[in-house]
Amino acid sequence: MTRINRRKLISASAVLAVAALAVSAVPAQAFNPRAKEVGVTATTIKLGITSPLTGIAAPGYSKIPGAMKAYFDYVNANGGVNGRKITLVSKDDQYIPATAVAKANELILRDKVFALVGTLGTASTKALTAATQLSKRGIPSLFVNTGWSGFADKKAYPTTFAILPSYQMEAKIISKYLKDTYPGKKLALIYQDDDFGRDALAGFKTGGITFDTLIPYASGSQSLPATGAGWITKLKAASPDVTVMFGVSSATTALLGNAFAGGYVGKTQFILGSVGGDATTIAATNRGLVGLLNGAKGLSFAPAPSDSSDEYIKLFQTIYAAALPKEIFDNNVVAGMSNAFLAVQAIKAAGPKLTRKGLMNVIETKGATLANPFLTPLGYSTTSHVGATGYWFGTYGPTGALTADGGKYTVYTTDSGSGAVVESTYKRPAMPAKGLPN
Amino acid sequence: MKISLKSRLISALAVTAIAGTVLVGAPSAANAAPVCATANFVTQCGGVGADGAPYAFIAAANFNGTVFLWSHGVRPSIDIPATLAPVGPYTKTNAAEPGPGASSGDFSIINKLVAAGYGVAGSGFARQGINTTEALAANKELIATFKTKYPTTKTVIAWGASLGAMNAQRLAESNPELVDGVILGCPAANPQDALVAYFGDALFGFKALFDPTIKVGGYSTDPVIRQQEQHANIGKILLVLSKLSAGLTSGVWPDTASPAGKALQAAGIPSRSALLTVGLMAGVSTRSKNVDGTSGPAGAAETYPLAIAPAVAVLQNMGATLNYGTLLIADGELLAGGKVFDNTKTDYAARVAADADIFSFALSGNSAVAGIIGALAATPRETADPAAVAKISGLVGLSGKITKPTLIFQAESEEFVPASIVQWYIDTYAAQFAGEKMKAMADAKKSRAYVAPKNNLVVLWAKTAAKYSKFTAAGTPDLTAKPGAGTGHCLFTPAQWLAAADLMVATLKYDKFPLGGGIASTARKVGLSYDNKFSVPLFKSLQ
Repeated sequence: MTRINRRKLISASAVLAVAALAVSAVPAQAFNPRAKEVGVTATTIKLGITSPLTGIAAPGYSKIPGAMKAYFDYVNANGGVNGRKITLVSKDDQYIPATAVAKANELILRDKVFALVGTLGTASTKALTAATQLSKRGIPSLFVNTGWSGFADKKAYPTTFAILPSYQMEAKIISKYLKDTYPGKKLALIYQDDDFGRDALAGFKTGGITFDTLIPYASGSQSLPATGAGWITKLKAASPDVTVMFGVSSATTALLGNAFAGGYVGKTQFILGSVGGDATTIAATNRGLVGLLNGAKGLSFAPAPSDSSDEYIKLFQTIYAAALPKEIFDNNVVAGMSNAFLAVQAIKAAGPKLTRKGLMNVIETKGATLANPFLTPLGYSTTSHVGATGYWFGTYGPTGALTADGGKYTVYTTDSGSGAVVESTYKRPAMPAKGLPN
Repeated sequence: MKISLKSRLISALAVTAIAGTVLVGAPSAANAAPVCATANFVTQCGGVGADGAPYAFIAAANFNGTVFLWSHGVRPSIDIPATLAPVGPYTKTNAAEPGPGASSGDFSIINKLVAAGYGVAGSGFARQGINTTEALAANKELIATFKTKYPTTKTVIAWGASLGAMNAQRLAESNPELVDGVILGCPAANPQDALVAYFGDALFGFKALFDPTIKVGGYSTDPVIRQQEQHANIGKILLVLSKLSAGLTSGVWPDTASPAGKALQAAGIPSRSALLTVGLMAGVSTRSKNVDGTSGPAGAAETYPLAIAPAVAVLQNMGATLNYGTLLIADGELLAGGKVFDNTKTDYAARVAADADIFSFALSGNSAVAGIIGALAATPRETADPAAVAKISGLVGLSGKITKPTLIFQAESEEFVPASIVQWYIDTYAAQFAGEKMKAMADAKKSRAYVAPKNNLVVLWAKTAAKYSKFTAAGTPDLTAKPGAGTGHCLFTPAQWLAAADLMVATLKYDKFPLGGGIASTARKVGLSYDNKFSVPLFKSLQ
């Protein structure tokens, strides 16, 4: 009897840590349709973003989550969306894909967000989408801040929705601009040697443009002094009339800095791609370089941040000034608030019984008609997850502000395939009252 | 919980008896009864199985009827000289291993289990290298032997690490009647020959770019020559790795590089980009024991993780990958009677397409990747013998079917036995469970009583932290620092093994896994993570 008792005691001690746990765990990957939707309660919706808050890309892009939060707070203060208030969890990925994966995992597994929104950068977004298996988990990745055309491919990225026009569209539209404005001129292209640049090359090819000089660079290598210096050496040798920079703003910084150092200012007409002309980023490295933007051409699909005559910009300026009065209202703020605005419209359209599946379905079926600040049509459909579909051209001034050429937004639209580039006849619907969803 | 003085005394004595002692000498005659010795309430037995495999088992006077049957991890099937350090020196051994840690002299896990009333048992197996056939026979025989010695045995928990986990799962698949629960640590498996492809792709990349004399397969059938070839290959691999290490920052290529590799060097493509490309096309982790892929030394905090770190991590993981690849492919060819790796249809460009953007700086851009992949064309592809492939698939193939409670634990960034294997287990079981659920629903229509199928798989992850790299004053990763969590090969602590054992015992006691929250709590206490929605990418060859 003593032995039996002893055995019982010893045996029990071995399992003490888990003995109180009674009911069976669910199997890995099992789906319970009766479970509540992750990240949603009767009164709240939790969204998550990972973006560079520190590091090389932070100076401009770090403003995006703050701008998004400012708009969400404005909506929350006015009753929320379908009775729910939105919380935005923001993580810093330093623009490093491996870190973006870790942060996305935190958002999904620890913070248990309903959806990701506005993740930034092609490489980071690709990395986190693959590593966290967003598609397999059915987690929406709303309005990613990258124009890589692949994200519009519903088959490859069924839960990811773009917001920017694709880089292929952009290159096609620049192609038309080059043909119309600089016929017969010598052309050079500096481009990021990854899918960003691959999209550009495809777009320029479709647009019928052949560059006399091609200068690829590996993403990130623009931070090395030799990279930018090498560009100027090649440009000097080629003497192009027009140089297109299809890279991020830190690459433009390297270009301008080395152009100045190499005595190459004013020797070629710069055309900066839509993500390459952020004065905030350039100023963070060297404020003196911002002035070198003067006269460069650029393009955008949103109203200019300085255009207070635009009802969206006016509203955004008011909201942002109240939320972050010491911060400068720039194109990064417009991007963040537009992102948040479109997310709110989509969530409202998804109705009170909010589910991930329902939200994605409503973007596919009604997304193209949702209210938004952009000056081009949205392309969401049951077969495509493309966002905006066009650009207007402008000229940078000495402060780095982009102003529409001809004093008005002349918008060109196209697709990511072989479709023609045409002047858009799109009339943006009026903004909902006070920019609110209800 | 209050434990009596007597029981505490037995526990203490049991620990004293085992720790630091040598297991009793095994009888020399195969299939003879085990030789046992008892001291301080603990009985240790040793013997030799029918095929000559040494075995050992231990139980205390308070044996509670549950025995843990251990299958040890891979041991090379050939001796390896000290000149091939750090792979050697190694002398082939069939020494019995009754539990985790025993081979390295750490009996803490065994001590605690025996003190708590459990039996432990393990064979050394009659053959090393790929020993699935021998392990299955030895494990079946050892269960019978143990039960003969301890007729009160009611529960057998098969557990193992790495190749041993494959052997434990194989036992559960082939003889479910002998096993009640299964614990798989860092399990090896070869679904659709994906593990063979993983090793073969890495070796092929090294041959094509860094040293054309490296063998991928096609080893001699002469045992002496084959061993010499393996030694030579390991030596070449170690040399290339050291040269790649020296050229990580400068980008200089090994002087052993192939003509295609030298052409890439002439084109200005750094060797680290080629190294990373090979790692990505095989599926080697871009995070390693000392390289987190997100940190950089002072002054290069942003550029280092983008430009250098992924290649350094691949380099640190590649040593084990290539050397075990050499040993296992050669052994596989011996067992299968021909070449087992085939890459004649492998699209390496597709393999790296999704990663090219993510590691763009380290790869030196898309143009460089295209050049590196293009350079592979100069090296003839490996053609396998279909009969050998079929045979190796049978030898090391698993169905993944789970019929007994099974607990897997795995590092997210495994050094050379990819976490993809665990994802394969998860996906395979998800399909199995869905089928069981459908059947239960169909049965319910007839019986009007729905009996939900029981979940039999729980996976615990050793997740890789976002940051853990340390750097030397010279700005290079400190490879002597403590490895980061969720990295390396089977770097599980005794506490983690014991938590797994406790969890399995509780599961078998209540005939079901505990609640998810309870599992998560247990896991968290030992640095593991339970998250049934966590997933990792599948093998590159299965994507």
